[in-house]
Formats: sequence, C-alpha cells, structure tokens
Amino acid sequence: MSVASDAWDRSWVRRSLLAIGALVAVSPLFAWAAGRVGYAEPLENAAHRTGAMAHEVTYNPGLLPDYTIPGVDPLVGTFVSAVVGTALTLVVATAIARLLAD
Amino acid sequence: MHIPDGFLDLWIAVVCAVLAGGTLVAAARRADGDLTDTTAPVLGIVAAGLFAAQLLNWPIPGGTSAHFVGGAFAAILLGPHLGALCVATVVTIQALVFGDGGLVVLGANVLNMAVVEVYVGYALYRLLAGHNEFVAAFVAGWLGITAGAVAAALQLGASSAFAYELVTTVSIMGVGHLLLGLIEGGITAVVYRYVADARPDLFPTATTTEVAA
Repeated sequence: MSVASDAWDRSWVRRSLLAIGALVAVSPLFAWAAGRVGYAEPLENAAHRTGAMAHEVTYNPGLLPDYTIPGVDPLVGTFVSAVVGTALTLVVATAIARLLAD
Repeated sequence: MHIPDGFLDLWIAVVCAVLAGGTLVAAARRADGDLTDTTAPVLGIVAAGLFAAQLLNWPIPGGTSAHFVGGAFAAILLGPHLGALCVATVVTIQALVFGDGGLVVLGANVLNMAVVEVYVGYALYRLLAGHNEFVAAFVAGWLGITAGAVAAALQLGASSAFAYELVTTVSIMGVGHLLLGLIEGGITAVVYRYVADARPDLFPTATTTEVAA
C-alpha cells in the first residue's frame, strides 16, 4: 500500500470516527424527543395486546441498565452509555476483525 | 425489536441460539480471508456506527419511535458473513452491558437482527442491484428489517407468554416494521450512496479496477 493510500485511509477513518462522535453527541437529544412522544415499539404493542408484559423478567440489567446510570440524570446517562457502548463496540469488533484478518 | 427475557418459551430460545450460533460459526469460517489490513478497521467502524445509530430513537407522531438497525447496510458494505458478525457483536454488547434484550433470549435476538435481517437484506440487494443499486439498498433495508421483525413475531407468537396469539404478533410487528422499515430503507440507501461514492473499493463486490483506482 502506498503512503498516499495510507494517508487517505487514515483520513477516512478519522472522518468516520468524527461522524460516529456526532451521532453520540446528539443521542441525548433523540432520547429526549422520543420520550416526548412515548417510547413504544411494535414488540411492546404486541406484548401489551396479548398480556405478555407480565411475563417479562430481567436476569441481567447490565452495568448501564437501559442506557442509564442509576441516580444520574437520564440524558447524562444516555450520553455516557453512548460513549461507553460505542467505544466498547469499536474495540471488540476491531479485535474480531484483526483475528479474522490474521 | 430486542426481545427481553421471559417472552419466549425456553425451547424456542434454545433452538434460536443453536441456529444463530451455528450461522455465526459458519459465517466466521466463510469470512476468513475476506479481511485485509486495509479493510479490517471497517468492521470496527461499521459496528461502532451501528451501535451509535441504534441509540437515536426517531420520534414518530402518534406515540411510537423507531431506530436504525443497520443489518442490511452492514451486509452490503461488509458482505453477509462479516455483516452478520458485525451486527451480532452490537446485539451482544447491548444485551450484556445495557440489558437491552434478554440473556436467555440472546440467541433469538442475534438470529433476528444479525442473521435474518442481514442475509435477507443482502439477498434482496443482490437481486435488485443489477437494476438500480440505490433502490436495491433501500429495499434491502426496508424488507430486511421487516423480515427480522416477522421472525421475532413468529417466535413470540409461538410462546406461552403471548398466549400463542401468532396472528396478533405477526400482524402488529409485521405491519409495524413494514411501515417503520421505510425509514430504515431510506437511511440504508442514503448512507450506502455516500459510502459507495467515497470508498467504492471497500465493498466486497468491488472490481479490481475500482480497487486499483
């Protein structure tokens, strides 16, 4: 690979990461807006219609349950969750890619 | 579309886990050699992008919301096998770290979003790309997520928690995602066009001329 190509690739990676950073930055805004209209997906509508909601159990709430930090403002929790989740996904998926590329 | 624990009968969760696990193992074997030093970072970037994009819940007037899942987009950009591994990584992290989707039903969520959506989306893209790639990407995103939702609806409708109301689950989730999937298709097509213009060499179907250019 040429040096020019390397630089071009680094530039592309940088721009991609900036775009992802922008998505992370606006995630609290979208969380707020979705909350204003009521967060419901078709799966939840089907669960309500059939009475399945009573069967829902939580075996693993996760370190950041439902993209929040307990006791912290939900929008702050969303932002922190976005940062942590995006970074973790980047690291894990890149590691998988490196394994497959070897 | 993330199914929580308690919604699926155990035997359905086990069957889904076996199907999802088997598919991912096969995908890893088939994808072996697809990645190079140049394209390896793309998997990480696409996965991170999908995670971030899935956090953006688009408010829909009428009291619902939708978010981009990206299975078809990952399949088009990375190929179906790497696409499946990419989305499976996202779904697994969502379940383990954020409790988004259950632990016992993780296999079902991976099957629906990382297998059904990815492979159906990719098949539709390949079927239509010869006519119009933009339209093909749109249809792949639109019907790919709908297929994933229908798969989830079948699993839920066959479970006791949903009183075996298969028609109800399929109609609500199928029709719901058929409509919400229009957004998925639109985002898939627009982002596909942008990446295809900027980096045509990244696509698995790129010709040697494109790569050399």
